[in-house]
Amino acid sequence: MEARPALSVQREGAHPLSNCGAHSSLPVLRASLEEKYPKFPGPVLSSLPSNSGAVGHLFSSSSEFSTNLHFSSVLPHEEHSASAPFIPQATNTEASVRLAASSQYVNENSEPWCIDPLSEYLDYSLDTPVKNTQLDCSNTGDCHIPPEDLSKQSDWPEWANLIMNDDDALSNWNEIMVDTGIVDAAEPKMQYQEQNQPSNFPAHQGQQLQQIPSASLETSGIVPASSTASGSSSKQRMRWTPELHEAFVEAVNKLGGSERATPKGVLKLMKVEGLTIYHVKSHLQKYRTARYKPEASEGSEKKESSIGDLSSLDLKTGIEITEALRLQMEVQKQLHEQLEIQRNLQLRIEEQGRCLQMMFEKQCKSMPGIDASAQPTDAVQSSSNKNDPGVSLVDHHEAGDTTQKTVGEKQKEHEREDTSSSNSPPSKRAKVDE
Amino acid sequence: MKFGKRLKQQIQETLPGWGDKFLSYKELKKLVKLISSSCASRMMMNGSLEYGKAEAEFVYLLNNEIDKFNAFFMEQEEDFIIRHKELQQRIGRVIDTWGPNGSQPSEKDCKEELGKIRKDIVDFHGEMVLLINYSNINYTGLAKILKKYDKRTGGLLRSPYIQKVLQQPFFTTDLISKLVKECESTIDTVFPPPCDVISRQLVLGSQKIGAAGEGIFRNTVAALLTMQEIRKGSSTYGRFSLPPLSLPDQSDVIQSQLNSPIAIP
Repeated sequence: MEARPALSVQREGAHPLSNCGAHSSLPVLRASLEEKYPKFPGPVLSSLPSNSGAVGHLFSSSSEFSTNLHFSSVLPHEEHSASAPFIPQATNTEASVRLAASSQYVNENSEPWCIDPLSEYLDYSLDTPVKNTQLDCSNTGDCHIPPEDLSKQSDWPEWANLIMNDDDALSNWNEIMVDTGIVDAAEPKMQYQEQNQPSNFPAHQGQQLQQIPSASLETSGIVPASSTASGSSSKQRMRWTPELHEAFVEAVNKLGGSERATPKGVLKLMKVEGLTIYHVKSHLQKYRTARYKPEASEGSEKKESSIGDLSSLDLKTGIEITEALRLQMEVQKQLHEQLEIQRNLQLRIEEQGRCLQMMFEKQCKSMPGIDASAQPTDAVQSSSNKNDPGVSLVDHHEAGDTTQKTVGEKQKEHEREDTSSSNSPPSKRAKVDE
Repeated sequence: MKFGKRLKQQIQETLPGWGDKFLSYKELKKLVKLISSSCASRMMMNGSLEYGKAEAEFVYLLNNEIDKFNAFFMEQEEDFIIRHKELQQRIGRVIDTWGPNGSQPSEKDCKEELGKIRKDIVDFHGEMVLLINYSNINYTGLAKILKKYDKRTGGLLRSPYIQKVLQQPFFTTDLISKLVKECESTIDTVFPPPCDVISRQLVLGSQKIGAAGEGIFRNTVAALLTMQEIRKGSSTYGRFSLPPLSLPDQSDVIQSQLNSPIAIP
C-alpha cells in the first residue's frame, strides 16, 4: 500500500513525547522548522474558538511564549506551530537559526496536550473518535469515551468493549484496521493513526502533532496529482483540484459507481502520490452526498419551490422565474468582478510595498553615510510620480512623520485620479527600477 | 469600529453555517488595545520581554484564525469541485435526453429539469462568489488588524505577516474564480436568450427567487454594499488603502433590492 513507505519514514524520526508516558507508541516527529513556510499549516484546531485567547488549546501555555521572543515577527506561524502538520520529509530550506530556535521550542513546550478541546472533535468522522479515545486513555489514564461517539462509529462496532486501556485499545485497533481493509502491521499504522489529531472535519486534515513545531509545510497545502514533493505526509489537508477529482471519478466509475467503490480501491486506482485513504474516504463521502441529495429532495422541492410553477405551464411565471434568476446572476457576477478587482489591487499594493522596502534597504546598505530619513522621501516620490494608486511606503519605523504625510497626500491625489481607471490594472504597474 | 460593524452585518446576512468562520475581528481588536495599553505604560526597552510575549500571543491567535479560514475554504472548495462536475453531468444528460438526438420528446419534463438546473447553477454560482467574498473580507480584516497592531504597538508585524497571508490557500482563490467563469459560460447554454426590458421590470416588481436563492441573493447584495462602504474612505486613508468602489450602472438594481428587503418572498 502506498502509505507504507511513508510510514517507515515517519518512524525513523520519531521519538516519544517526554511526558506522555503512556504513549510509548505515540511517535512524535521531531520535524524541525526547515522551511520558511509560506503557507500556514493545516487546519488543526480550526474549530477552536479563537476568540477566547487560546483557551483550552492544545499547546503550551502562554508562559512558554517568552522562549519564542526572538521569533516573533519573523516567523509568526512557526513558533506556534504546534498546530503545524507533521511532515516526515524535511524539505530543508530554512535558516539554521530557526531550526535551533524551534528545537528549543519543542523542548520547552513539553506540556502534553489538553484533552478537553479534543472532545469538541468527537462528533466527526468515523476515525476521529478512535484517535480521541487513544489520547484520552493515554493522557488521563481513564478511558472515557463519550457514548455518542461510539454510536457514530458504524464501522467500529466493537469499540465500546475494546477500549479499556492503552494496550488493549492498540491491539484491537489493529484488528479493526484490518477489518476496514487497511492492512498494515500494527505499530506503524497505530502510530500513523495516533498522530492524527481529531480534526474538525470529516476530511481528517487536521494534523496536529502536539509538540511539533513543524516545519515543512509544503505538504500541508496543495497536493496536486503532479506534485511529488510532499509524498509521504499523512493527515495533511488535501487541496482538491478538478483534475484530481476527474481521476477520482474515473476510478470510482471503474469500480462500479459511488456506492460500490471502496476508498482503498479508489486510492489504488488513482495512484496519486501523497493521497491518503483518509482523503479519499472523506471525498467519497462528499461525493455520495452530492449525488444523491438532489435526487432525494426532488419530491419536496416541487411543493415549495417556485420552479414548481413551471410544471403548470404558466408561461408568465416561467419567464418571471427565469428573469429573477437572471437578475440574481447579474448581481452575483458584479460581486465577483468587484472581488477580482479588489483582490488584484490588494496583491499589487502589497507587492509594491515590498519592492519599496527592498529598495529602501538596498539604498541604506549602499549609502550608509546618508541620513536614513531622507531615503523614503526619494523612493516614494519617484514611485508616486508614476501615477500608481496602490503604492505606499511600507510602514517603517525610521520614516519621518512628514514624509508619511507627503506620501499620504500624494496617494490621495493619485487615487482620486485613478479611481475611474482602476479597472485597468496593467497600466498602474509602478516599475521602480534602479 | 466601522469595519467591525460592517463585518458583523455581513456575518448576519451570511449563509447558514458560515457565521462562525469569519474573522474574530472584535476580539483581536480588543487584544491589540490591551497590548498597546500595557506596552505604553512601560518603556518599550524595559518591557521588551513582555512585548515579545504579547506579540507572540497575538500572532498565535492570528494563526488560528488563518487555520480556520483555510480549513473552511478548502472544504467548501472541495464541495464546489464535486458539485461543478455533477452539474455538468446533469446538463449533459438533459441535452442527451431532450436535445436534438434525444429519445424523450416530453417538453414538460424537459422544462422542469432545465428549470431545476438553472436554479441550481445560479445558486451554485452565487455560493462560489460568496466564498470568494468570504476570503476577501477576512483578508481585509486581517490587513486592518495588522495595521492597527503596528500602529498601536509600534511593531513591524504587518509586512512580513501579510506576505504569508497572501499565499495561504484561503486567499488563493484562482480555482474558484475559474469555476465561476465556467459556470457563467455554462449558464448561457442553459438559459434562453435574454428577454426584453419589460419582463425585467416584471421581475423587479414581484420577485420570485426561490428559497435557497433568496439567502444567496440577499447575501450577495449585502456583500456588494459592504464592499462599497468599506472602500468609501477612511480616516487613515492613503497607505495601503484601496480606492473607492465604482459599481457599474446596474447599481440601481441593487439599490432597489435593498430598499425593499421584504419584497423578496
